[in-house]
Amino acid sequence: MAKAKGYSDPKMEEKLRDRYYYRTDSNPEFSKRIRDISQTVSHMCYQCGTCTGSCPSAPRSSYRIRLFMRRNVMGLEDEALTDPDLWLCTTCYSCTDRCPRDIAPTDVIMAMRNLAAERDIIPVNFLKTVQAIYTTGHGVPNNDVNRAARQRLGLEREPPTVHKYKQYLPGIQKILDHYGLKARADKIVAEAEKHA
Amino acid sequence: MVDTTMEKNPRIGVFICHCGTNIAGSVDVKGLVEYAKTLPNVAFATDYQYVCSTPGQKIITDAISEHKLTGTVVAACSPRLHEPTFRTATKEGGLNPFRFEMANIREQNSWVHMHDREAATEKAKDAVRMAVAKASLLQDLEVKTVPVEKAALIVGAGVAGMQAALDLGNAGIKTYLVEKNPTIGGRMSQLDKTFPTLDCSQCILTPKMVDVYRNPNIELMTYSEVEAVEGYIGNFDVTIRKKARGVISMEEAEAKGIKGGGCNGCGDCEPVCPVIKPNPFEMGMKPRKAIYIYHPQVVPLLYTVDFDSCIKCGLCVEACGEKKAIDLEMMDEFVKLKIGTVIIATGYELFPVEKKTEWGYKQFDNVVTSLEFERLICASGPTGGNVIRPSDGQKPKKIGFVLCAGSRDNTGVGKPYCSRFCCMYSLKHAHQIIEKIPGATPYLFYMDIRSFGKMYEEFYYRIQDEGAKFIRGRVSNILEDPATKNLHVYTEDTLLGRPVDVELDMVVLAAAVQPMEGADTVRKLFGVSCSQDGWMLEAHPKLNPCGTTTAGVYLAGVCQGPKDIPDAVAQAEGAASVASIPLHRGFVELEPYFAQCIEEKCAGCGMCVNLCPYQALSLVEKEGRRLMQVTEAKCKGCGTCGGFCPGGAIWMQHFATPQIVAQIDAFLLGGEQ
Repeated sequence: MAKAKGYSDPKMEEKLRDRYYYRTDSNPEFSKRIRDISQTVSHMCYQCGTCTGSCPSAPRSSYRIRLFMRRNVMGLEDEALTDPDLWLCTTCYSCTDRCPRDIAPTDVIMAMRNLAAERDIIPVNFLKTVQAIYTTGHGVPNNDVNRAARQRLGLEREPPTVHKYKQYLPGIQKILDHYGLKARADKIVAEAEKHA
Repeated sequence: MVDTTMEKNPRIGVFICHCGTNIAGSVDVKGLVEYAKTLPNVAFATDYQYVCSTPGQKIITDAISEHKLTGTVVAACSPRLHEPTFRTATKEGGLNPFRFEMANIREQNSWVHMHDREAATEKAKDAVRMAVAKASLLQDLEVKTVPVEKAALIVGAGVAGMQAALDLGNAGIKTYLVEKNPTIGGRMSQLDKTFPTLDCSQCILTPKMVDVYRNPNIELMTYSEVEAVEGYIGNFDVTIRKKARGVISMEEAEAKGIKGGGCNGCGDCEPVCPVIKPNPFEMGMKPRKAIYIYHPQVVPLLYTVDFDSCIKCGLCVEACGEKKAIDLEMMDEFVKLKIGTVIIATGYELFPVEKKTEWGYKQFDNVVTSLEFERLICASGPTGGNVIRPSDGQKPKKIGFVLCAGSRDNTGVGKPYCSRFCCMYSLKHAHQIIEKIPGATPYLFYMDIRSFGKMYEEFYYRIQDEGAKFIRGRVSNILEDPATKNLHVYTEDTLLGRPVDVELDMVVLAAAVQPMEGADTVRKLFGVSCSQDGWMLEAHPKLNPCGTTTAGVYLAGVCQGPKDIPDAVAQAEGAASVASIPLHRGFVELEPYFAQCIEEKCAGCGMCVNLCPYQALSLVEKEGRRLMQVTEAKCKGCGTCGGFCPGGAIWMQHFATPQIVAQIDAFLLGGEQ
């Protein structure tokens, strides 16, 4: 177990905190759940780095998928789920195509996002997308610039989606309500805006 | 009578090789040819892309008759590569093959002066000029053949030595298998299981041990060591020390007229012996008596008295009774053997890993070596295969395996090389504890997992799948919790970039390996070199991995460098194959670089006799005076005697004084005689 230093200043305590890995930091259940959700042999990662090398996000961000794979093997639940980099995967599946051990790292990331969501750890921009889908049926709704462009091209101002067939919107809302996603998004976004 | 006459009108042919661009890239070959033509005695000079090729050799052969040459010079690579080729070409042209001289303008010139064409060309001119000077004075020499004793000696009866003995024995060759321990079997007999097949080590080894024992061509000499070696390939005179084992076999008893006597391995002597010592076969974790066997499957099944600890109370002699197998007054015996070829298979031992104090071996009870762990997990071991913590006898649940424990270490304390089989046996250990101890977790601390062999990577995959934990980081230090005797293992998880402190019940050090104690003595007896890392030196790392620089002496197994069982056995079979060639052929050829006595100059002082490192010289009476005489088969042509002789009475064939002086003159005087 990590030892607390006992500084009176919490900033100092954080700065100088014990960063050793201890066996008790591992939660084997976490690794097991990741495996169950992702349906891939996530424990077989041998850390070659092909995934990070393939990743289009890696050269433009601090996102390192190999590191998440390692955290999975080591059962480092908190470290994995609280790292905001978790949300930088574009789910392009390049890593999955190339993994020499035939693991699907993308699915491991998706599994981690699911477990993070259970703990209400979701970035606000993702949740705003949820809200947009709930209200319009689209993650990126139509707007006036698009409508004008469509008109110039001889298309209908609204595409033949929920934008045009609004009667289908309640169905989408029903799905999102069933999983409690809208309520969760509203709650987290409200929290975040309160703190902002 | 030695012939010191030389060619009066030498006509030398010079052949310069381009070696593609290897030489031509940094030496002006055309200029070199023109230069050679200006040298004294040169009758013909030319160049060719690859002189070693078939058309290249034909140029030499044709030139000899066309230009009535008396000697040839090829300026090309090292004589170690193509001297035999060009000698043969010279012979085919009708000259004695020893009329050929080689100038090395590649390894010693173009390759080292790649960026200085002018200087390289000048240096090549020097080399060619010197070679021409020597070639002008070369004499006809005849290769000498000597008969070979059709018997082989193998030193060390581990799996490599045993395999080599079986191969030679089965090929109909009389084979002496010498082992310093009381039983054959070596390290492999100490192992529990073998990777990656998980065969029981003893189960696959003991049939081989029995085969060795039963083979009519193999003479087993256990508890014996090589004492002295004389002679040369085909005719080694080897003295074996048969250490006093205090016990005679049934055959020896019969020879002595003790009917039905001799040791039958009944073991009646053992319980009555009052002396208790640690058993080295069990890595000292089980007791043995002063009269002992290592384990129940020993070959030969013969007890041994440890005279260092025996108090000669005589209780064992009493227990043995009418069999009269025990002789507490036995002395070492010396046996002389005539041997044609020798295979050294002296094996390895673990590096004394306590020297790396940071891992706490011999300080902390629960830090053990991999060989100790082999015995602990082996059903016939000291705990009957129950893995327990040495500190309290409890079953460990969390076991750490420290890989590269002393290997890949450039501090001078450990070993700079990879010990090659530790990764794989640590994976095997991990599998064994998962299998044997419910709920146990192995932690492997590694820098790389080197699973290079057939089905090895698959084995690694399997062990990872079984739940072994891999932490990529070399263990920096281990500390003991004095209350629980648990161990804190410190490293970095380099893949997380986080320092690690894991508390484990037990730690196994995959210690580096080093040459067996006493291997150096054997090595020196046979005149074998060792490489920088201490292992015995093969003749060529790629193209002659079993041979040594001593003709007739070969290497098998780990004595040449760390090897797993398949590799050790493969090398043993290779060594047996090459060692059998001279034995089947029946003779060997010796290069005729012998010292010769110029009798009219020899004063019979005998100084040279003592200087000779090969005991090749002696003084003889001839026509009323003392003269030096050379045993040509023993002479290696080293020149020690020739350089020393105060009367200049020793003629070194092929390296005679006039020939060497001519070379020196050619170098210093730039070709003027």
